[in-house]
Amino acid sequence: MYVTNEADEHALEQALILKGRDGAHVVAISSGGDEARAALASAVAKGADEAYFAPVPFASRADNHHLAATLASVMKGAGYDLILTGVWASDQLDAGLGGLLAAELGLPYVGGLTSVSAPAESAKATVRKEFPGGRLGVMEVDLPAVLGIQSAENPPRYVPVSKVMQAKRSLQAQTIPPAASHEARVHLRKLTKPEAATRAEMISGSPEEVADRLVRILRERGVA
Amino acid sequence: MMSADVENGMVPSDATSEFLRRVYELPAGERLLSCIQCGMCSGSCPLGYAMEYTPRKMIAALRAGRIEDLYRSASVWLCVSCYNCTYRCPSGVPITDRLIGSLRGDMLSRGVGVPAELQAAFEKTTRYGNPFGESPKKRPDWTKEAGVDVRVLEEGDSAEVLWWVGCFPSYNKRNQRDTIALARILSALGVDFGIMGSDERCSGDIPCTSQGEEGLFFSLYEHNSDQLRNRKFKDLLVGDPHAYNAFKKEYPRLGTPLPVRHYTQYLAGWSPELRRVMKKELRAKVTYHDACCLGRRNAEYEAPRVLLESVPGLQLVEMPRNRENALCCGGGGGGNWLDSFIWQRTRVPLPMQRVQEAAKTGAQILAVSCPLEVPRFEDAVKTAGLEGRLGVRDVSDILAEALGLSGGPS
Repeated sequence: MYVTNEADEHALEQALILKGRDGAHVVAISSGGDEARAALASAVAKGADEAYFAPVPFASRADNHHLAATLASVMKGAGYDLILTGVWASDQLDAGLGGLLAAELGLPYVGGLTSVSAPAESAKATVRKEFPGGRLGVMEVDLPAVLGIQSAENPPRYVPVSKVMQAKRSLQAQTIPPAASHEARVHLRKLTKPEAATRAEMISGSPEEVADRLVRILRERGVA
Repeated sequence: MMSADVENGMVPSDATSEFLRRVYELPAGERLLSCIQCGMCSGSCPLGYAMEYTPRKMIAALRAGRIEDLYRSASVWLCVSCYNCTYRCPSGVPITDRLIGSLRGDMLSRGVGVPAELQAAFEKTTRYGNPFGESPKKRPDWTKEAGVDVRVLEEGDSAEVLWWVGCFPSYNKRNQRDTIALARILSALGVDFGIMGSDERCSGDIPCTSQGEEGLFFSLYEHNSDQLRNRKFKDLLVGDPHAYNAFKKEYPRLGTPLPVRHYTQYLAGWSPELRRVMKKELRAKVTYHDACCLGRRNAEYEAPRVLLESVPGLQLVEMPRNRENALCCGGGGGGNWLDSFIWQRTRVPLPMQRVQEAAKTGAQILAVSCPLEVPRFEDAVKTAGLEGRLGVRDVSDILAEALGLSGGPS
């Protein structure tokens, strides 16, 4: 079952909010296997103006360096003011793409954002970021910029299934070819199901006995 | 076909005439404008007092070409699909299914005025096939606790009875007790039954038909009808009256007739057998709440009562509003997801009114036959301060107790 990454849904929502507020032109880009085209249909049904698709074979999904290079190839010089990414991917718990993309493009990056304001004709965007301890940071970032969205200003909008189906039928997504010159820096060696870990051993006895046993174990394993 | 504006001597706005054209294409949709403005719908609607536009006024607005006024109003989202208006309308206007359903569909596709809570339920159902956003893999997890063998029918398998379990009965902890009760009853009766496990998805009725998400309904219909076609069975058994309605009315309309029966109807057929084996006395005064989708919408009032009356010691009493006059629990038509939205506009929750009516009969148990009602009424019992005085129990749970099948896994 294909489910779009939640943070990416929020990035799209934030882009659509900017479209509604400031008349932004929204281009949706998705990457992955063929099923990721469904995400594009849904984005177009929600209001994205254009769609791009970057096919990525399963084996190279972990390589965000390569993906960043691939995406940068269509973004460089294309005149985008803002590039919004989901701050992380929920499948690999990877939060690398936004920063890597910014590095490829030579643009500033701010991640973990909860709102973006970028009035038309302005050279700066004002962004909000939540910090631990209930603190809220308000920052200005020079445009163009790459932003990592944690959550949009409002929950992602719902679009009726019939509209998604319509968009699917008429979807014209331009394909982004993989960046050829880039050397793969993440190599997938194998994929396995998680191995069942050995059981924990509970050490009982007096504090002295427990400490002795613990020290012995640590020495045996070469930790201490 | 005479167009709406010609018929009424008015010139509706383009949006209004487009809307009416779409409604006219639906079964019985053309009856919409046979409304005589008598106001029966507004008077019989349990939430009509809180509606800026009651069904009568909605139709008047459409006649005046003012559909935009309806888009701006919250009234459309207050409907809980109880079918009082449709049931009583002297002109046979399909108010719930066509007027409300189509208006909601219109607002959904325009993206205007749809309450966020309902959108969230739609989103989860689109993604996971249930409104809770639970994994489809976990759907049959309840069977582990059942204490009896529950066969999961794979494609190509057959059984006498295919039991469509439903979302609430599968996932909701409180409902699982009643699901297990029904599994044990079927097993005790020696019924050859099976479920579809992870291949089952929401039937589509609760979040869709009268809520306007026809596209979502259709995609669920396609999945479910394919899955059903791949298995052989004589009876399709459902616990949820909404699923019953979807299978009985909507699936055939799209080309899949199904031999569907609500579990109370199915078990009522076994009532002589049940009467013989029910050993345990259940000395209690019980009142039964008619589920809208079973009663008003499908005219089944007797089966649950036959079953309850067959329980030794049980005394069945009626609330003043019973059968076709029963007050809705407020959970239908998406109401289950819109409790706070509706509460902000009404301040008197329907389930609260209903449990107070039940308590006034002197009953100790409020018996129900719809899974939504159990959590809804139990919450209402707590808010109404009736805890300890009134219990809420599904008919299946009561039967299981009388059959000595209750308790932990056997």
